[in-house]
Amino acid sequence: MPAPDNLRVIDFGRADALRSQTLWHAVAYGVSAGSPPTLSFVRPAEPYVCIGYHRRLDEVDLDACRVRGLPVLRRMVGGGPVYLDDGQLFFQISLPVAAVSPNRTRALRDLLAPAVEAFRSVGVPAELDADLEVVVGDQKVCGHGAGQIESAVVFVGNLIERFDHDTATAVLRVPRPEARSELERLMRRYVAATPADPEAFRDAASDAYAAAFSLRAEPGRLSAFERERLAELDRRFEDPEWIAGPERHVPNVWQAKVRAGVWVLAAEHGGASVVAGVARGRIEHVSVADAELNGDAARVEQALVGHRFDDAPAVLGAFGPPGERVAAALARADASRL
Amino acid sequence: MSPAITPSVDVQGYVLALDRGYEPETHVWVLVVAPDRVRLGMDPLGVETAGALAQLALVPLGTEVRRGEPVGSIEAEKFVGPLTAPLSGTVIAHNTAAVADPGLVHRDPLGDGWLVEVAPSDLDAERALLVEGAEHVPPWFEHKLAEYRLKGVLAE
Repeated sequence: MPAPDNLRVIDFGRADALRSQTLWHAVAYGVSAGSPPTLSFVRPAEPYVCIGYHRRLDEVDLDACRVRGLPVLRRMVGGGPVYLDDGQLFFQISLPVAAVSPNRTRALRDLLAPAVEAFRSVGVPAELDADLEVVVGDQKVCGHGAGQIESAVVFVGNLIERFDHDTATAVLRVPRPEARSELERLMRRYVAATPADPEAFRDAASDAYAAAFSLRAEPGRLSAFERERLAELDRRFEDPEWIAGPERHVPNVWQAKVRAGVWVLAAEHGGASVVAGVARGRIEHVSVADAELNGDAARVEQALVGHRFDDAPAVLGAFGPPGERVAAALARADASRL
Repeated sequence: MSPAITPSVDVQGYVLALDRGYEPETHVWVLVVAPDRVRLGMDPLGVETAGALAQLALVPLGTEVRRGEPVGSIEAEKFVGPLTAPLSGTVIAHNTAAVADPGLVHRDPLGDGWLVEVAPSDLDAERALLVEGAEHVPPWFEHKLAEYRLKGVLAE
């Protein structure tokens, strides 16, 4: 049987929170079962929060979501908890697994490159940086995640026309107010909206993905099989057990990623506490507390800012036992988990 | 703990233990640790192509899996992928150290970075589908390396 040569393009338009997830998951199951490679688009008609497949539900501030009336859903692709609303146009490319490199880094590069081309086609000077983020300058302008669903790979990204930094920060569970302020500061600094014509972006993405995978873009719709899967996915994604996710290891430190290479840490050790914002391996902002610092906290903070995160223990060595405790708190960070 | 002495072979810089079988497509190894117990892990090529693991999740203990079904999942670079069972059986142990620190899988894929243990239900038949022994493992792995390099999966 010859390989399909069409790239089915489905624009789902606006969809409620649940369907803005389940529609493209159903497409992925369809592609796994033999539907043609598919590029889909969907815009959430209502705001909500979505958490990555492996992440703990308690990374989300469920009370904050409840107060704001935000549903919380779990997707089958990777990444952390994110806030979605109608200021974001999401696109998904679903391909047979054999069409994608087994090398995950290479696969992501291949799947991100057409998105970059689409951004550039609509006047956004986007680039793919070394951390596999779509950026303008050093600001992330496209969230993404990917996953293998049965025998299909699905890659998800978005055109951020407007971004509500306040709500995106407020829906995350954060241990201390200083951590929330730092998270919000970094989010504003490193995540940006790129207002562009969404229809032009959709057309450019269709052309770019079709060209990248040697396919011909053709409008399409869900198959009967996919509609059946959609109904099943609607039930699954609303099941509290699915939303809760599998039991996960709970790290002994709180950390949150803003974009690749940019993260916030809040940790304690032996009575010392620290909140640090780290970008490109350097401490951009830090607040420390320890009963024995006796008013020297500001001096410690000044000493740390601008240094490489890995050099913090050496810098803190000059501050005696309180400095050692702050260093021990910082040492709890595990950037590999972000 | 890793065995103190494990017969192994170096194939173009990749070390492969010869005391176990390898699923040739999914790059999961199978080590028989007792007549009713096998240990599974990722081979060096599987680890390299997966990238730096940020997340590792395993199906609950007691889960019955069939060959080809997921025994867990991994995530690297926000890309979620399945860990595919090379044998059918019941999951009887997790490597909790690897779940807490998925980097362990990268650091010691053939030893402390193992994933799960399974009570196999059809070991004799399914073991025949694995690549085993000093005669077969190196040529299979060389072939996979050549194939991956040809497709640009591995850096030169």
